Amino acid sequence: MTDTKQITFRIRRYDPDVDTIPHWEEHKLNVPDGMTVLEALHEIKAEQAPTLAWRSSCRMGVCGSCGMFINHLPMLACQTQVLHLGTDVVTVAPLPNYDNVKDLVPNLEPLIQKHAAIKPFIIIITNSKEVDEPTGEFIQTPEQRDEYSQFTFCIKCGLCLAACPTVATDPLFLGPQALAQAYRYTVDNRDCGLQERLEAIDAFHGPYQCHMAGACSQACPKGVDPAFGIQLLKRTLVLDSIGFGKKKSSVAKVMPLADVVKAIEEFAPPPRTVVK
Amino acid sequence: MTNKPTAYNNRLGLKGWVYAGNYTFERYLYIGHRLSGLGLIAYMVLHIIETANRMRGEEAWAALMGLFASPVFKVVEYLLFAAAVFHAMNGVRLLLVELGFFLGKPQEPIFPYKSSVMKHRPLTYIIMLLAGLLMALGGSSLFFK
Amino acid sequence: MRETRLWSLHILVIPIIAVLLGMHFAVQHYAPVFYGMSVEKARDFATMIERGRSTAQFVVYILLLAAGLYHGLYGTRGIIRELPLSPAMVKVVDWGILTVGVLIFALGTYVTWWTFVHPGV
Repeated sequence: MTDTKQITFRIRRYDPDVDTIPHWEEHKLNVPDGMTVLEALHEIKAEQAPTLAWRSSCRMGVCGSCGMFINHLPMLACQTQVLHLGTDVVTVAPLPNYDNVKDLVPNLEPLIQKHAAIKPFIIIITNSKEVDEPTGEFIQTPEQRDEYSQFTFCIKCGLCLAACPTVATDPLFLGPQALAQAYRYTVDNRDCGLQERLEAIDAFHGPYQCHMAGACSQACPKGVDPAFGIQLLKRTLVLDSIGFGKKKSSVAKVMPLADVVKAIEEFAPPPRTVVK
Repeated sequence: MTNKPTAYNNRLGLKGWVYAGNYTFERYLYIGHRLSGLGLIAYMVLHIIETANRMRGEEAWAALMGLFASPVFKVVEYLLFAAAVFHAMNGVRLLLVELGFFLGKPQEPIFPYKSSVMKHRPLTYIIMLLAGLLMALGGSSLFFK
Repeated sequence: MRETRLWSLHILVIPIIAVLLGMHFAVQHYAPVFYGMSVEKARDFATMIERGRSTAQFVVYILLLAAGLYHGLYGTRGIIRELPLSPAMVKVVDWGILTVGVLIFALGTYVTWWTFVHPGV
């Protein structure tokens, strides 16, 4: 029989049909080793608080749905083991800096709108024939991929905006997630869209309202390190403003289709790692 | 007629600048930088206005300097020096870091993740140490005649 | 590129302020350490006028004034505009801070020039 520990969960409740301000409720639960906060919430909902509402989906840290404010830090509930928190009382609240729809459910619409505002897609140079009449694949070396791949791990969970002090007061600030993604696309060698993104990012509520408090990177559950992305974005913008930016006409080299087929045929599998 | 349920405004506001959770101390360096900066610019504006008193002549200037010789003003002057040292040293850190230096290279995240804040922590410690040293040395001004 | 240029200037002046303000502190507040002069003597009218009549002092003060005011007021503008403001208030903040900066710079430049051309005590 697994050993369990009794933990008190202080959960912030808010029912917009009934409440004008949120209130706290306490629920005790015997928690076995390995139980996550998300699993605990399921238990509490099943046995004690049937109307408790939250958002979750994959329960394995890839969908970004279950962001909550747990013991005064933004975390994914599915990735947080209760006993690893080390406290007998675990506070669970909705993410700050987002409107609280109900109980633990934040309104993540601003996160999505800000993400869309920075044009989160590869922008190929518009007069390039490659867009409409592709002749092959864009080449990207492993070194070129390394420049941005860290920032592709973002799961849009929104914990970074919950942590950011600028987002706390400025509703128009793009936020760590959007700005890190702006860097991800700008530095990608296949992208020529810096000028198109400038209206959004070279404005007052852009990267210069980040003051390197670093809370976003501390909160990020996937190691994306958005603060790093924002500082690199500032460097990119400064260099571009003095004429050292990526040339607008530079398109990633295209490898003709015939060469792509040849490269695949000549591809040698890696050496065996399992000895027969 | 039913009213649409309203979401609760969960934005932290100004409180979020000061404390928002169990974050690392760089977040407090951020608020320290803001407060010292505001104090310094407020002082600078007043200082320009105050030193314009020289145009009223030698006696007016002497009266003003006499005011600043009191022990209270000596402490205020030292606090100003300390704020300027902190703001300048932290500012040098921010100058380097906000242009992307001392933050390492982008690399695939491997757990346990090391954020850019932790990567430049040694630089932060060195800068804070230098700032502390300068503040301690500057304390001699409290004993000047 | 506007915001990038404003911010770039904000950080470009950091080393200028660090050096010039350091010199200003050494002369005004730490005169006993660096010049063997009492603080009272360093700040009296005659010493101040004599120091202010040098070209080097004139140039240093104007530079420090411009750099310090720009850096400080840009930072203040950033802090105030990070609060939720209406578009009208944003214009008031921007123009208000610019006005304060121009007025204080004008006053400081005039006082520095007045000292520079002073016939001496």
